Amino acid sequence: MTIKPVIIGAGRTKFGEHYDKNPEELIEEAGLKALESAGIERKDLDAVFISDYFLQVTNKIGIEEGFISELLEVNIPMETLRSFSSALNCACNAIEAGRHEVVLVGGIEKMTDRLDKIRDDLMMLGDPWSYYAGGTPEAFHELMLRNYVKKYEIADEHYDKLMKALAYISFKNHEYGARNPLAHFYGRRISVEDVVRARKASRTILGLYDFAPISDGASAIVVVSSKAAGKYADEGVCITGRGSATDYISYFSRSIKCGFKATREASFKAFSEAGIEPSKIELAELYDQSTLMELVTLEDLGIYKPGTAWEHVYASYENGKLTYTVNGLENYVNTNGGLKADGNPLGATGGAQFHEIFNQLLERAGDRQVEFRSKNPYALVVEIEGFGTKSYVYILERWKP
Amino acid sequence: MSSEPIERRVSYIADKLRGSECTLCGRKYFKPRDYCGTCGRSSFGKMRNINFFYEKGVLEVCTIIRRATNKFKMLEPFIYGIISFGDIRVPGRLTDLIVRDEEEFNPSKFEGREVVARFRRRCSTGPVDIVPTSSLTFTFADEYYPYMEYKVFKPNRYADKPGIVAYGLYTSKFRIREGRMERSVPFLDEDAITAAVEAGKIALIQAAIEGELIKKIYVGSESNPYAVKPIASKVAQVLDLGEDIGDGVRGVDAIDTEFACKAATSMLKDAVALAKYMNDEGEDFYAMVIGADNSQAAPRWAPGGELDFFVGFGATAFIIGNRDVIAEIEGWYSCTSDTPDFWRRDGQKYPMHGGRFTGEPAYFKHIIKAARKLMDKMRLQPKDIDYFVPHQPNVRFPLKVAKRLGFKTEQCLPGLKVGNFGNLYSGSSPAGLIAVLDMAKPYEKILLVSYGSGAGSDAYLLTVTPQIIEKRRRTEKFNVEWQVKNPYLEYIDYNTYRKFKEGI
Repeated sequence: MTIKPVIIGAGRTKFGEHYDKNPEELIEEAGLKALESAGIERKDLDAVFISDYFLQVTNKIGIEEGFISELLEVNIPMETLRSFSSALNCACNAIEAGRHEVVLVGGIEKMTDRLDKIRDDLMMLGDPWSYYAGGTPEAFHELMLRNYVKKYEIADEHYDKLMKALAYISFKNHEYGARNPLAHFYGRRISVEDVVRARKASRTILGLYDFAPISDGASAIVVVSSKAAGKYADEGVCITGRGSATDYISYFSRSIKCGFKATREASFKAFSEAGIEPSKIELAELYDQSTLMELVTLEDLGIYKPGTAWEHVYASYENGKLTYTVNGLENYVNTNGGLKADGNPLGATGGAQFHEIFNQLLERAGDRQVEFRSKNPYALVVEIEGFGTKSYVYILERWKP
Repeated sequence: MSSEPIERRVSYIADKLRGSECTLCGRKYFKPRDYCGTCGRSSFGKMRNINFFYEKGVLEVCTIIRRATNKFKMLEPFIYGIISFGDIRVPGRLTDLIVRDEEEFNPSKFEGREVVARFRRRCSTGPVDIVPTSSLTFTFADEYYPYMEYKVFKPNRYADKPGIVAYGLYTSKFRIREGRMERSVPFLDEDAITAAVEAGKIALIQAAIEGELIKKIYVGSESNPYAVKPIASKVAQVLDLGEDIGDGVRGVDAIDTEFACKAATSMLKDAVALAKYMNDEGEDFYAMVIGADNSQAAPRWAPGGELDFFVGFGATAFIIGNRDVIAEIEGWYSCTSDTPDFWRRDGQKYPMHGGRFTGEPAYFKHIIKAARKLMDKMRLQPKDIDYFVPHQPNVRFPLKVAKRLGFKTEQCLPGLKVGNFGNLYSGSSPAGLIAVLDMAKPYEKILLVSYGSGAGSDAYLLTVTPQIIEKRRRTEKFNVEWQVKNPYLEYIDYNTYRKFKEGI
């Protein structure tokens, strides 16, 4: 039997501004919660993979592993990566290779400690040449929207519908986020009109409510080998397919500009590995750094045809549903609130996505619990680094010993 | 950016939009690279240097940035987008564009339009940092600064005497109008460095020669943003002057000069002398002489504030050589005295002005002496000369000095442009000369007399050649007449003018 990675525990902090806390305090909280959720002790761990996008820039923290070693008082192998999904990818590789059995994957970001310089830093890391030309993080999304509108010739009333569809994505994610006590915008509902008004107020193409916020936070999960999982847990979430891919650092020089080639490549690999069609996905956690990113990712994954996602999303808005309809069936997307409402502490964001899928698949999501239509539902996570520079796609299902 | 090596590498590419082309398959890249992705390892060492600096691009998509990153805050709001040159794309900011608050932003108004690269300051920096530059800055190809093709021809005819081979005047799109006087005002991202490059670029397009033939570059300025670091090195790098001797180094001698408003004119004779010497040695030689200024003036209520009524912005460039000369330099005379009528102490932002003292014992005395000495030397009377072009700090002085020398107002008016551009300082009398060259007929004679405070004058006698007719056609889209009056000039108020002058 092939070895599969199984998530047996997940923990996270609240996302938002943690003015009083050091990064290591946040990761400690998330890590302890994950260990508790998995019911294991730190001495059970074989290795730790942690992620932070730019703690070295925001907090001038160098060797993150040393902090974790000191917190856990262990001397096991540890590695730092840039995103939660890349850390998890390394953990999965190690588990599947039989190198480690029990691995802690954690993510942390402390963005508000450097709030006044954060957009310059994000741009410099995101694509230096766009930064040199005057680009902003928001401009990436707006230029992609312009490319989308031009390529698919969306004009007049169709353009208005597209913009409404995008506004609805923000509304929907806030609706879910409002029910998530750990979300950045817990209890904060907005209307579609609020999104539109914000664009008008700033006199920009996309507005305040089209973008995910700047957040602090930490998240962690415990991943074990399916061979040994039975020792620690009687249920879990199994990673049945995964894929990752990269694309050019400069958006302007990429071949595909109305979506992300990296996501298309990664999802192809993930679906092939899982042996399922995109239509089998009942719950997805997508990387909605902007409302547009959720929209184009629906197309990149093959859930909707390129250039048509907005029509389906608009239909959900018209019908007042918090789900997207695919082939007549209801699909849930970003039930934690997405990056938009849950928050976006880069290195920890992916952890919150897996935290949500873990709890949803195991029916532990409280009043956000979705009703799965099949007995063995599939869920999916997409995490992206930079503006589509790297993409990770994971397909998950329930696991029993 | 506080890292000099990073700044050097970034501006080296960005200033000229440098790239590579595979000589095997013709695939092009923005940013130089060592091999082609299509041809793989077989293309190693077979990539050719290219640039998009003289090309026409298309603004494909754009958005408005009202909340910029910290380094671009001073430029808010601006339009930012992706520009394509065929299959190649670069990010870019539109410049020379004031986004009015009341206007709703409609990207499709801009998308699909042709643009040209403009060399500008890239973003803000601290007062001790290197001034970042780039040409990832664009304006529309059919507006104030039209696209002009840069097509290289082999140099042809040898002239009897070295002289002007080509010229270029650059003034900005913005103007302030007070009374009957108009003055050129830099956009926020312009300064003496950017103006110098723009003027040099226009001269090079008119000359239609490879930059590598130019082996000496002089830039005269009294408003270099640096106290120490030449403008000339930047011009040499962006225009690729002198032969490429590897590692980004070029075989060109570059030097900045400073003598108030005669920093550039003084070097014309040096360039001519060098050209003559090199020609006698049997070597093709060209020199470029630029006068570039964005002179600052104190606010009107402060000491030195009287200058605030006259400062302009712009640059002039001349290419001097032996071949395809459009105006031969027949003779010159220079004079100097230690007359402190205008000065700026080191570390001071604004210069001081001698008031009434700048007239008789300064401007008039030096210009009249230099002009008379040269006319005596050349055995010429004012009636033998077609055009008289003196330094022009205001409209009154040039006409007065012309009269005192015996010139008629008609001989002086064609070269009197201070009322259109303001005082261009190092480029002041050269701009007048360029205005005359734009309309002069072959064999006409021009007397140019500069004046630099401090003080001194350079007088030159020039004779126009028949080759001027063809040459000036190459840059006629952006000639003096166009820069004086065209539908795209934008008039701004005094507060905006002060803000633009201070820059980013």
